[in-house]
Amino acid sequence: MTEEPYRWLEAVSNRRDYVREQLKSAAPAFAASLPDGILLLGVGSGQSKVFELFDRHALAGLGHPADIEKIRQAAIDAAHMEAFTRAPEDVSLRRLVSFGLSPQLKTNFEQIYSAPFLVELLLAELGNEPGKDLLFRLHFDGSFQMQTGGIVTAASTTDGEAAAQKWLNENFKNITDRKQMAEVLLQAWWLLVENKPFDDKMPGEQDRKAGWREAVKGRTVEVGWLAREAARAARYQPQSAAELGL
Amino acid sequence: MSQSHAIAGDFLALLQTHGVSPSRIETSAAAPIQIQATTVFAFHCADGVLMAGDRRATAGNVIVTDKVDKIIEIDSTSLLAIAGVPATAFEMARTLQTSFEYYRRSQLQPLSLPARVRALARLLRENLPMTLQGVGVVVPLFAGVDHTVSPAQPRIYFYDPLGAQFQAVGYAASGSGSGTIRSVLSFEENYGKPKPSEMKIKDAVRFALRCLMTASEFDSATGGVNPASDTFATLKLLTDKGIETISEAKQKEFLGVS
Repeated sequence: MTEEPYRWLEAVSNRRDYVREQLKSAAPAFAASLPDGILLLGVGSGQSKVFELFDRHALAGLGHPADIEKIRQAAIDAAHMEAFTRAPEDVSLRRLVSFGLSPQLKTNFEQIYSAPFLVELLLAELGNEPGKDLLFRLHFDGSFQMQTGGIVTAASTTDGEAAAQKWLNENFKNITDRKQMAEVLLQAWWLLVENKPFDDKMPGEQDRKAGWREAVKGRTVEVGWLAREAARAARYQPQSAAELGL
Repeated sequence: MSQSHAIAGDFLALLQTHGVSPSRIETSAAAPIQIQATTVFAFHCADGVLMAGDRRATAGNVIVTDKVDKIIEIDSTSLLAIAGVPATAFEMARTLQTSFEYYRRSQLQPLSLPARVRALARLLRENLPMTLQGVGVVVPLFAGVDHTVSPAQPRIYFYDPLGAQFQAVGYAASGSGSGTIRSVLSFEENYGKPKPSEMKIKDAVRFALRCLMTASEFDSATGGVNPASDTFATLKLLTDKGIETISEAKQKEFLGVS
């Protein structure tokens, strides 16, 4: 059936719909570049969502845990091989995503007889200064967007992600404090998981603050911090909400 | 059988006797003079394990440099002290650094201390042909934190060139100046007041620096410590919380020189 081109296009389109349907209930993840480092945040219910990849690299994702795990392992393998055969300084997120992960995801997505990856990912590379921080938004079909610094959202729906991204960019991109940024990201997380609007009908700040605190009960707020200043090469530090003072 | 293979039950010596040795034992006359790095030691003090090394590398009777760091942080809870051929030792350190961190990141838990100790033993065994040829001998010390006891405790291990591993109760030393260091440590641990194991960090650092000064009096391959020429040691303190590097400024301060 798929030897006919339009059948193949239809199959790929069905596949896209299937992946989005499967991801619909997944909780979002965020990354934000700050003067002191990069903050990655997710809220897990049993499975982790934020991971260290290499000295200056981290990943946050949503989707099926087994698929996130496959991508995580592939990224860790590639980063360590590169560091050992060349040098840790040669591990670059641009190359890792554009020459490694993205082509693999695209190939997998277009092989319509194999199961697609049910993932949406954020990857971060810490620079020597905030202007050199790289944030990648990598999708299940291998497409990706790169940006320098700022805030990036990964959500299960494109509309929700765009709305949250716009709200965060317009109101909070000048935040420099880690705790303040985590608080705002948790508010965005709550708005997305509760399907609340990001327009003028958005709940007020007090409701948002109370909302995320209530919603994370029984779940784990996961924070990964890539510290710009550190004595050791490995910059990633896992942190809890309590450690951040939230 | 040559004197160097006089150990009973040495299968490699047996192979050599029958002329079927897997490795060429004699070093070629055309081989370059090896660079060597000495002296390193570690001892338990009141605050943890202090690992120290001089900074000299030699090739024969030539001083190659006085700026080598022989105490290497493998990860946040492991230290390697290298004595022997730096080319091999640095590569071993790099291999361990990558493999420990790879394990921690991929398995989402740190490698256990016994596995770390054996990983270094395996590298030494894999270096056996080079060791037998006499061109790549490394006799390292390793310090790591044992998390199977509560509270977690730092431990010291020493090795032979073939990879046998031993846990040191109080101290260990390696390299050409290690004989002097071991004598001093043994004496102080038995008769010292305070013993090295009772010393707080300031006293322990001062003691370690003086040990290196003493070793350099008897061994030309040991760089020693000379505050007048700003020559200090590499000193790292391993505790259950992690690793602290004792900077040259701190060493100066603890020695009481301005």
